[in-house]
Amino acid sequence: MEAVSLIPTPDALQVHWFWLHLLLTLTTFLHFVAMNIMLGTGFIAFASPFWRGNDIMPLNGHIAKTLPYSIAFTINLGVAPLLFLQVLYGQFLYTSSILMAVYWLSIVGLLIVSYYAAYVYRLIDDRGGIGRLYIGAAVLLLLIVSFLYSNNVSIMQMPEVWSRYFSDRTGWLLNLSDPALIPRYLHFIASAVAMGGLAIALYFEIRKRRGATDGEEWIRLGCKWFTVATIINFGFGFWFLGALPAAAYNSATLGGKIFFILVVGSVVTIIPSVASAQTGRIISAAAWALVTILLMTLARDILRLTYLKPYFSLSELPYIPQYSPFIIFLLAFVGGGFLVGWMLKTVWNAKEVA
Amino acid sequence: MNYPVWQLGFLGGGFLIAVIAIIHVYIAQFAVGGGLFLVLTEHLARSRNDRAILDYVRKHTKFFLLLTMVAGALTGVGIWFTISLLNPSATSVLIHTFVFAWGTEWTFFVIEIVSLFIYYYTFDRLSRRNHLIIGWIYFGAAWMSLFVINGIIDFMLTPGAWVADNNFWSGFFNPTFWPALFFRTFFSIIIAGLFGFLTASFLKDKELRTTMLRYSAKWLLVPFVLFLAASWWYKASLPPHIEQIIFQKMPQLRNAITIFLACSPLLILGGLIMAIRMPSGLSRTMAAAMLVIGFMYFGAFEFLREGGRRPYIIYDYMYSNAILKKDMAQVAQAGILKQAKWIEHRRISRYNVRAAGRELFNVLCLSCHSIGGPLNDIRQQVRRNSPEELNLIFATMGRERPYMPPFAGNEFEKQILIHYLNTSIRR
Repeated sequence: MEAVSLIPTPDALQVHWFWLHLLLTLTTFLHFVAMNIMLGTGFIAFASPFWRGNDIMPLNGHIAKTLPYSIAFTINLGVAPLLFLQVLYGQFLYTSSILMAVYWLSIVGLLIVSYYAAYVYRLIDDRGGIGRLYIGAAVLLLLIVSFLYSNNVSIMQMPEVWSRYFSDRTGWLLNLSDPALIPRYLHFIASAVAMGGLAIALYFEIRKRRGATDGEEWIRLGCKWFTVATIINFGFGFWFLGALPAAAYNSATLGGKIFFILVVGSVVTIIPSVASAQTGRIISAAAWALVTILLMTLARDILRLTYLKPYFSLSELPYIPQYSPFIIFLLAFVGGGFLVGWMLKTVWNAKEVA
Repeated sequence: MNYPVWQLGFLGGGFLIAVIAIIHVYIAQFAVGGGLFLVLTEHLARSRNDRAILDYVRKHTKFFLLLTMVAGALTGVGIWFTISLLNPSATSVLIHTFVFAWGTEWTFFVIEIVSLFIYYYTFDRLSRRNHLIIGWIYFGAAWMSLFVINGIIDFMLTPGAWVADNNFWSGFFNPTFWPALFFRTFFSIIIAGLFGFLTASFLKDKELRTTMLRYSAKWLLVPFVLFLAASWWYKASLPPHIEQIIFQKMPQLRNAITIFLACSPLLILGGLIMAIRMPSGLSRTMAAAMLVIGFMYFGAFEFLREGGRRPYIIYDYMYSNAILKKDMAQVAQAGILKQAKWIEHRRISRYNVRAAGRELFNVLCLSCHSIGGPLNDIRQQVRRNSPEELNLIFATMGRERPYMPPFAGNEFEKQILIHYLNTSIRR
């Protein structure tokens, strides 16, 4: 059966696809930042005691305190890109989700258990003993969720594997035959660990600037995790690049050119980030790292378009303009931003007083 | 027609979505009414300068945060996941029509998360004024989330003029928008009272426990009158056809109607009993029972609302099996096997007749019927009827059986499907 005949007919957009894609990219970037902090710090909290023993517990106390926040924001900031992804690529996403329906739906349960495990880890005193089980469970489940997400993206981008549905309609399909699946997944996980390390360094750097004196060791440790994981991630990154179809970086196409520039750009920006981290300039390291995440987010968008190029282009989507709901959304977005800003400022100032 | 069908057997017939949606909506409505409960109870504590009540608010906030932020938020995501798996075509219509309503709701969700975290962790750090403002911001954002989601949910039941003009605002401010908004607002306050019982019943201090149980009882009983008025308004706003389906034509909804009617006096009676001074063990048991009654009450309502849409998933626009009303005649003429995208057996021979029957069942029936499951079990229904009666059911779908869509295939496909039911399902 030809893959193209299976692709569902999309519904009409209310605004030009550019706006929706801008929102998709922006919110995906925010989601990635939160996800990296969540998964990375959780991973470090779980892994570090294996060679640092209970010396690491003061750091884990801080991670335990912040992990529920980062899970909450990762989930929240994941809702928006999932929404915009559905609008632009729903015909692909719904299909891939149905093909792996059992795994896809299990994500909800896995996240609930993981989230509660993170809360238990926060609330208990014995983080060195039984607590390691809770953080271990939370991280393991998050790693499984990440793998399932990678699978969904893989199936979504490859309609040529969709006909496997006819041999299993019960939602138990994964796309393990995709050569890019494992390196893509490892690339994301290593990136999360690196950014988790940098987030730890940044957290204690900010505390230091506000007068705390307990953070030097954790700043150094965070930078070490960041550097080592980033170096390892170069390996995963090149593996991932090698596993991609040649069209992804074909210099004869515009998409290939842009993808190449974005990948080179992300390498160019991560180098000063690592260098800054090694010399103790944490704010600068974080700023360069954010630029890298943004470039990688853009590269991922281009890659998706390349994968789907034989089947689809955004300009083909039906479009029946209706802009007033979009304006309401923008007003709510800006208003909400001010309100959140006011609340954070209020707490920040109160903290200084305390 | 447009998407593959997740071939569910036991868990089909809407069971998955019923479970996850009822749990989510119960918690999500608690997240609204409970927000008002928090901030007004804090006002009470501050105005009386009562440290014990303030401590209770803090403990209740912890419970509130752990329940609404984790289970509430994730089951919300779960509803999205589930509907896109069970009815991707309808989900796509909802997403494309209301993308910016969902987006706006998401901004309120961000505000909710930030304000609730701040509210819980800053009881002693922020000034009274600022802490209460944060509490009000939380409640405002939570209620606005309800406002937005209410428009989308009720669109599915009563899309009104949208069916003709496809205008966002016609769909959002649909005929049942306002009564449903009041209905859900009052219900969310009632749920706040029910959860108030639960946390108050765990207070060790007898005096405080009695005070807070009586206080929670007011949250249940006072809005109940307004809730009943909103229910009546909601019912009166329903188009006559939907009212008939819910209250007369659909036998599957009778249990839900009975539960809904029986739980009203139970909740009032329970609320009055909770105001009586009683030992802590008994009050905890009673509080748990009240929560369960509230859950059944709300579950029955949601079941009725969902059932009222039958045979549509989006009323008057898209049937439960994702076929558009406007396309029905054309699909019936050309046939499902020819037109649906995800069909393997387009040509039927003696070797694939059952497989083709199963494919027709998947496309046309699986959205409403389980196979051997707890909801709308096709096996039971086929076994209850003789083959002749089964033929009659097919002949009366969409007419004498208005809760079922008309049969969407051609005559040959009808025979293939009936054959499949009589052979594979009846055994």
